[in-house]
Amino acid sequence: MGPLVLASDGEQGRTAYMKYCHQCHPGGEAGLGPSLNDKALPTFLKRFQVRQGIGSMPSFSEEQISDEELDDIMEYLKALRNHDGGPGR
Amino acid sequence: MRSSKGGGMTEFEGPRPIRPEDIALPDGYAIEAVATGLTFPTGVAFDDAGGIYVVESGYSYGEVTDTPRLLRVEPGGGTRVIASGGGRNGPWNGVVGHEGVFYVAEGGAYEGGRVLRVNPDGQITAIADSLPSVGDHHTNGPVVGPDGWVYFGQGTATNSAVVGEDNASFGWLERHPEFHDIPCRDVTLAGVNFESTDPLNGGEATTGAFAPFGTPTTEGQVLRGRVPCNGAVLRVRPDGGAIELVAWGLRNPFGLAFDPGGRLYVTDNGYDERGSRPVFGSGDYLWRIERDGWYGWPDFAGGRPFFDDDILPVLARAPADPPDPVAAFGVHSSADGFDFSRNPAFGHVGQAFVALLGDMSPPVGKVLSPVGFKVVRVDVDNGVVEDFAVNEGDTNGPASWIGSGGLERPVAARFDPTGTALYVVDFGVMTMTERGPEPRKETGVLWRITRTGAR
Repeated sequence: MGPLVLASDGEQGRTAYMKYCHQCHPGGEAGLGPSLNDKALPTFLKRFQVRQGIGSMPSFSEEQISDEELDDIMEYLKALRNHDGGPGR
Repeated sequence: MRSSKGGGMTEFEGPRPIRPEDIALPDGYAIEAVATGLTFPTGVAFDDAGGIYVVESGYSYGEVTDTPRLLRVEPGGGTRVIASGGGRNGPWNGVVGHEGVFYVAEGGAYEGGRVLRVNPDGQITAIADSLPSVGDHHTNGPVVGPDGWVYFGQGTATNSAVVGEDNASFGWLERHPEFHDIPCRDVTLAGVNFESTDPLNGGEATTGAFAPFGTPTTEGQVLRGRVPCNGAVLRVRPDGGAIELVAWGLRNPFGLAFDPGGRLYVTDNGYDERGSRPVFGSGDYLWRIERDGWYGWPDFAGGRPFFDDDILPVLARAPADPPDPVAAFGVHSSADGFDFSRNPAFGHVGQAFVALLGDMSPPVGKVLSPVGFKVVRVDVDNGVVEDFAVNEGDTNGPASWIGSGGLERPVAARFDPTGTALYVVDFGVMTMTERGPEPRKETGVLWRITRTGAR
């Protein structure tokens, strides 16, 4: 499969993901935190986790990640889940 | 040993299998092994005729020492020794070729860091010495700038500015009990101190930031900065002389590279969850370096205050507002040597190709799955990080963990002078055991990635 192709909100979501999420979930895979690219968790629950935090994951306020950025991150995660993950996967 | 699922937590029985087909690349690229059987290699360089050279570190975490060496890689994969370091003053952390000579960063784990000029006949001259490098992190990654100066990184003595038990387990606290981090500029301390057991004398000890083990600090205490210092990018003229400060407030600036426009970038290994002042959840970072910039260590991570409010700042006031990083890498991924593509024939001109050594969990902190162990491509305009060379399989990890013949621990990536081939230095197998890191000699590999056709 080829490279991940994203719509504009997915591109913005990828940029935001890299800034806020990639460190603990590198490329959507497990690292410090669990993998996100194989989870069928509903979007509203993912948003809830981001806003409230869970376990060792910190919460991110609207001042830190705006609602619009969070929407874009969710779009990126959808695209990531529907993709094979790039080389090696 | 803490429960974790790091990539080093596996068994290894040599010899290491080498199978390039076990490594995935984007369509249109191919990888091959150029040299194998290297012991702790950390850098690759080229001479003016395109000859290929690697440095073997001579030291590895796990307190394993060997002879640091500069090797020429002959056609067919054999190697010839060009120069050897004496004593036990590795690791040699990186090398660069420039105008007929080589510059090597001598980490200085036992005697202090140096930057060495190595002639092709093997003659070695130190152009910088007495660098504060006998702690956790060393003298790293020389590169020659557009101005002709030799730029290098000097890592910190400690994880987060406080000497503690973790430094005893690294091995250096007993050798150098007086050693501690040195600020590059004057700083004022908050007087935050930390209790720990005393691995040197028994009992308890109280230690402050930027102070020897067992030495508390006071609120408002001013420490005079000086150069050379820790957590810095420094530079020296190619024939030696005074060392100048370029940037500070870094932790372990391991890889340095200039982009095609002549701007300096560094990779910086983020905090670990260890010692008297553990920091959870800090990634590694790629920074664009501004002259005299301060990048946040030891009170910020990735340009932001710590998420954990319980970690009190040790500085009474930050020297500056740290900038945002260009890109962030996975927590404990160990982002190390890198280079920028300059040739459209390879593609991705102006983007950085970064070697991720991979986690050393659990001593540095726990992870749920291996992190790193690959080469990634970074768009420095938007911070997007994408896999470029990664082992085949459903789960990321080193070849020894997956059971394949692919990448183990990429520690450096550099383009050849034509810009058509990306060389990847693979440190080799290093497992994590109850006894600490166990690096395996003669398992290092030099890989070469080229573009084979249209994508």
